[in-house]
Amino acid sequence: MNPAATSSSLPEVAQPVLDVRSLSASYGHVEALRSVDISVGRGELVAVLGPNGAGKSTLLRAIMGLIPNHGEVLFQGNALTRRKPGAAATKGVVLVPEGRGIFGPMTVLENLELGAYSVGRDKKEVERRLTSVFGLFPRLKERFKQTAGSMSGGEQQMVAVGRAMMADPKVLLLDEPSLGLAPRVTGEILDTLGALSQSGLPVILVEQKAPLALQLACRAYLLSLGRIVATINPREVKSHDELAQYYFA
Amino acid sequence: MDNISLVLQSLISGISIGCVYGLIGIGFCVIYNASGIVNFAQGAFVMIGGMATSVLMTDFQLPYAAAAIGAIIIAGIVGAAVERLVVRPLWNRNVAIFVMILATLAAQIVIERMAYILVGDQPKTLPPVSDLPPMMLGGVAVNIQSLWILASSLIIIAALNVFFKTSRTGKAMRAVSINAEAAVLQGIPVSRMLTLAFVISAMLGAIAGILLTPTQYTAFNVGVPFAISGFIAAIIGGFGRPLGAFIGGIALGVIQSMAILELGAGFKNVAALSLLLLFLFFRPSGLLGSTR
Repeated sequence: MNPAATSSSLPEVAQPVLDVRSLSASYGHVEALRSVDISVGRGELVAVLGPNGAGKSTLLRAIMGLIPNHGEVLFQGNALTRRKPGAAATKGVVLVPEGRGIFGPMTVLENLELGAYSVGRDKKEVERRLTSVFGLFPRLKERFKQTAGSMSGGEQQMVAVGRAMMADPKVLLLDEPSLGLAPRVTGEILDTLGALSQSGLPVILVEQKAPLALQLACRAYLLSLGRIVATINPREVKSHDELAQYYFA
Repeated sequence: MDNISLVLQSLISGISIGCVYGLIGIGFCVIYNASGIVNFAQGAFVMIGGMATSVLMTDFQLPYAAAAIGAIIIAGIVGAAVERLVVRPLWNRNVAIFVMILATLAAQIVIERMAYILVGDQPKTLPPVSDLPPMMLGGVAVNIQSLWILASSLIIIAALNVFFKTSRTGKAMRAVSINAEAAVLQGIPVSRMLTLAFVISAMLGAIAGILLTPTQYTAFNVGVPFAISGFIAAIIGGFGRPLGAFIGGIALGVIQSMAILELGAGFKNVAALSLLLLFLFFRPSGLLGSTR
């Protein structure tokens, strides 16, 4: 295999639901993201890979408007960039941040209810979404009264993903969902993400454990020093060595 | 009156004033949890509570309850103004927290001076909520106003607890206090929650002022001493812990009362500051542990 900048036979890109064009972001004078283009369509799970400090988390934070950025983020054809933080979430672009960002002292139920904050006071809709999330993660139903911070890492990740699903996302972004989790639990979480993607939900998965992400992804972007350096067709990557060639090319 | 009766009377008086310190301390906690800011304009809201009620009763002839409600609303509006005009512009510029804390101190001085210009420097007071004579409990005369303070404080604590535990907005405010960025990601309007924290805090301060004024007096410059007492209450309880601030307020009130009884009125502040130093030296996280 010749690890060129882009895989030779990438599957056809579905009509993008989220289309990121020339997105750049800086921390002070340090440019952390340089003119990045990525997109995700309905039913796609795309992975963003790269070493530590490549700009993966920055990319997700810039999409969500959590850090100053320039460029375009089109969601269903409409621009999101430079909107105030939180605007993306209310539109249906939902991020599960690195470290999960759960509200530790609050109960599982309260965490999930807050995921549906944008629903307002429509209790029936919140109930409907709760039922759906409990279907996805039955363990959360068993422990809905427990404070989220007292749960295991895997269960906390379920709370984080469940809370994101309570927002009825149109696009789901996940930042390192496997961080600090046992392999079995990671597998469980990723299987759920795969199922969600197959049900039509566009997913952008930032992941350090590239082999795991490539098992699920239909396309992967390799980020290095804030730039996309390769777009990979996971089916063309047959071994760890081939993947390593992308990293070192 | 024998010694035990004196001690019991001082205890009741201390609990009563301590409840008020507790309410002021809770005001500190609500803003601190939402923003990390220690709002030194908290004392101004206590002053507004007593002063505005007095002015509305005497100059506008409003009945007691209407004047009190009016004063609480005025304090809430001033609280929102402090957040919008003083804190928010600095917040949006990402300035250091201590700059915002100093700005609230400046706001305290501005509000105090505006009260002086508008109402003058004459002390004002309010009539007791009821005209009933002191109630005798086993030889101890209990001022009815003290019972009003105790009952009102407990009702307010219970109402706040229900608000923060069960309402959608209360839960959102708690979420902001735990992790503001994660709250933003849920679509929670964090800046609106900050304004609301200032409004709730100002209203609590005003209620404290209304409850206190019949037992003491109020004037344009009473805010700072009460703010210091509320601040000490919050530190004793564990900064950011509303229940802790209430317990801390009662502890502070009781210790002050006992110091006055045993050592004389001059030792009131000595006792309060000694208690503060003891906590800062030996248990800086307070009784319940601070939230940050």
